[in-house]
Amino acid sequence: MDPDLSNPAFWSRLQFGFTLTYHYLFPQLTMGLAWFLVYWKWRALRTGDEEYNKAVRFWAKIFGLNFAVGVVTGIPMEFQFGTNWAGFSRFAGGVIGQTLAMEGMFAFFLESAFVGALIWGESRLGPRYHFLAALAVALGSWISGFFILVTNAFMQHPVGYRVETGGLLGIANFIAYLLNPWALVQFAHNQMAALVTGAFVVTAVGAFYRLRGLHLTQARLYLRAGTLVALIASVLVAFPTGDQQAKMVGNHQPVTLAAMEGRFAGGTMAGVAVIGQPNVVARRLDNPIELPGALSFLAYGYFGSYVHGLDDYPSNIWPDNIELLYYSFHLMITLGAIFMVLMAYAGFQNWRGRLESSTWLLWVLMLAFPFPYIANTLGWMTAELGRQPWLVYGVFQTRDGYSKVVSSGNTIFTLIGFIGLYFVLGLLFVFLEGREIGRGPDERVVPSRREEHERPAA
Amino acid sequence: MIATWYAIVSFMLIVYVVLDGRNFGAGMLHWLVARTPEERRQVIAAIGPLWSWHEVWLVGFGGTLVAVFPRLMASAFAGYYLALFLILWSLILRGVSIEVGGHINDHLWQGFWDFVFVFSNFLLAILFGVAAGNLARGVPLDADGNFSMAFFTDFGVRGYVGLLDWYTVSIAIFAGVILAAHGATYLTLKTEGPVHDRSATWAKYLWAASVPLFVAISVASWVVVRRDLIVHAVHNPFCWLGVLIVAVSIIALVSGISAHGETRAFVGSNALLVGLLLAGAAAIYPVMLYSTLAPENSLTASAVAASRDTLVVASIWWPVGFALAVVYFIFISRRYVGKVSVRRDTQGFY
Repeated sequence: MDPDLSNPAFWSRLQFGFTLTYHYLFPQLTMGLAWFLVYWKWRALRTGDEEYNKAVRFWAKIFGLNFAVGVVTGIPMEFQFGTNWAGFSRFAGGVIGQTLAMEGMFAFFLESAFVGALIWGESRLGPRYHFLAALAVALGSWISGFFILVTNAFMQHPVGYRVETGGLLGIANFIAYLLNPWALVQFAHNQMAALVTGAFVVTAVGAFYRLRGLHLTQARLYLRAGTLVALIASVLVAFPTGDQQAKMVGNHQPVTLAAMEGRFAGGTMAGVAVIGQPNVVARRLDNPIELPGALSFLAYGYFGSYVHGLDDYPSNIWPDNIELLYYSFHLMITLGAIFMVLMAYAGFQNWRGRLESSTWLLWVLMLAFPFPYIANTLGWMTAELGRQPWLVYGVFQTRDGYSKVVSSGNTIFTLIGFIGLYFVLGLLFVFLEGREIGRGPDERVVPSRREEHERPAA
Repeated sequence: MIATWYAIVSFMLIVYVVLDGRNFGAGMLHWLVARTPEERRQVIAAIGPLWSWHEVWLVGFGGTLVAVFPRLMASAFAGYYLALFLILWSLILRGVSIEVGGHINDHLWQGFWDFVFVFSNFLLAILFGVAAGNLARGVPLDADGNFSMAFFTDFGVRGYVGLLDWYTVSIAIFAGVILAAHGATYLTLKTEGPVHDRSATWAKYLWAASVPLFVAISVASWVVVRRDLIVHAVHNPFCWLGVLIVAVSIIALVSGISAHGETRAFVGSNALLVGLLLAGAAAIYPVMLYSTLAPENSLTASAVAASRDTLVVASIWWPVGFALAVVYFIFISRRYVGKVSVRRDTQGFY
């Protein structure tokens, strides 16, 4: 797309990208954290150990604020389909609207009805129903992720649709649309990545308390559960889910795979670049250090497989920001590898019984929590930049999808508004969550809303 | 099929207005019915645990609208661009003010978030009122079914209209008053102590004030702005159903308020809003977006609907989702029954 700064489509893209990237910082934690709450609540039910309940109470507060910011920043996402992407909504609304609406009906209703009960309802509900509330919220958050990924998968690899009279899309096979193979692979990959974020945050808080010598029983709980889940999820995010995702891109978006790797010339024994800077004008990778044959093997299973290069395709269907796409993909992979090594080492130390006594490891674990957020964001940038120049891959281009009646002036105005509002929201969030973590899990009393609600109505 | 989906989409929007309307009302009256910091926490606690449940009905409505009326969503949301973003930002501020106000027990902190809470709820009630006024009056749709609207033009109701004119502003004032009355009725049911007493008084005044305003906007709507609608309306049984609901709910409301039947009054208040919105939604059907430039540019439900097959697909999952929502609603109603009182220990939780 024309990167000209007066192009209205550019500003609509920037606004959607900015608001979506910001929004997704919150759900990725809630989707990961929700299963920790379910697990600890279940342990509390089984063992009667009050430490587990303490952990649930503490993390439910962290969860609650994340959830609230996720809700309020999520509503603008849905509305932007109409406000900024009217062309796309008109063209594909009959298809993608189905899953957007289903997300509301099947996921948000469930989550929002039970999240209050999870955070404030412990004494009122009793342990069994409190466990069910945690389970309902966890399921709701994953169902929500599923429907959004079906929607995105349709844009990446459209299936189950047909072009109807008037040239607009409609549903031809609803089951095929819902069970889009791209959606299933992407869902598995994305949910594992969310678990990585949740597990790193739990681990970091545990390491913080351990280093400060506070809440030591709780710190042990967080460190053990956090590092274990982080290790398993970091491995699963790469194999098989990330691997399958790359194969999916190789099969259905070969131009994108070439751009992700910065490969201009096609060929067999295609390598994976460890280092190198794409130079689109000169059509080459500058200063490359490659693992020969690795890409051929990863994408198609044989070292001798032919992998297409960008030169095999007309440049008007190249992703329109190859450099950013290349760096997003490579940094994501690099971070993913670091996560595996770090958590494997933490697991090893835990097995030796030294996790809580190796100070420098605790420091690294404490400071590592921002990186899964970065890796998740890079993964989504890879998916979305890689999809360009298409809104619906091979069917509908981004330049046809924006709202023709909305001027750049209006979009820049609202983008500035979002930047200001989200900056303040971010400060507020960091301040309050920091305060909550500073107060720690021991300070919390059992919520006593019970008495209030038990008085009969006058 | 299309008429059914028009009904479903209207129904979801009505549910949203009725559910979140109580929060807008409680928010607008916050400073008036609650004087001390404890009382202000009490108002927040009365709506606190459920605001996100109410707000997701708007999300459900938006998603369903894209699915079944994609061309309406495209045309209307792009056309209402700035107004919609004002609503979105107000919703963000409102949600944040509810959620973070109680985190710190400090009068400066809470005073600030109380201000944000009142301000954003006022803005929301007014903006949704303006939106309703725009739906009734129509928008400057061109022959391609697109429009782009300024905030205001000459404040007239014909031709190139703006978002604000004398008519939409009157509807907004009416919406503000009636939602405040709805919120006051809710707080009367949900609180005790001084907040309860003040809310009961405000409910009486506000419901009384809404009567002349209602007469005024009815005359404006049916006689001045959209004279064509009355012909449609009298032939539409759903309009009469709406009128009937309004009549019954007024009886419930008046008797509830005078006999201190707080539940009855609140049910009446909910039903009154449902009846008014039902009558309005039925009256404008089959047009979903009326053109102030030329009636033939108006977008009818059948012109903006998705294909029949797409609607059939939506008819499969929607009833399932709705049945589940009813189950959650029953859970919530049981869980949160009863009054919220002034208690220091609510501080930490809202």
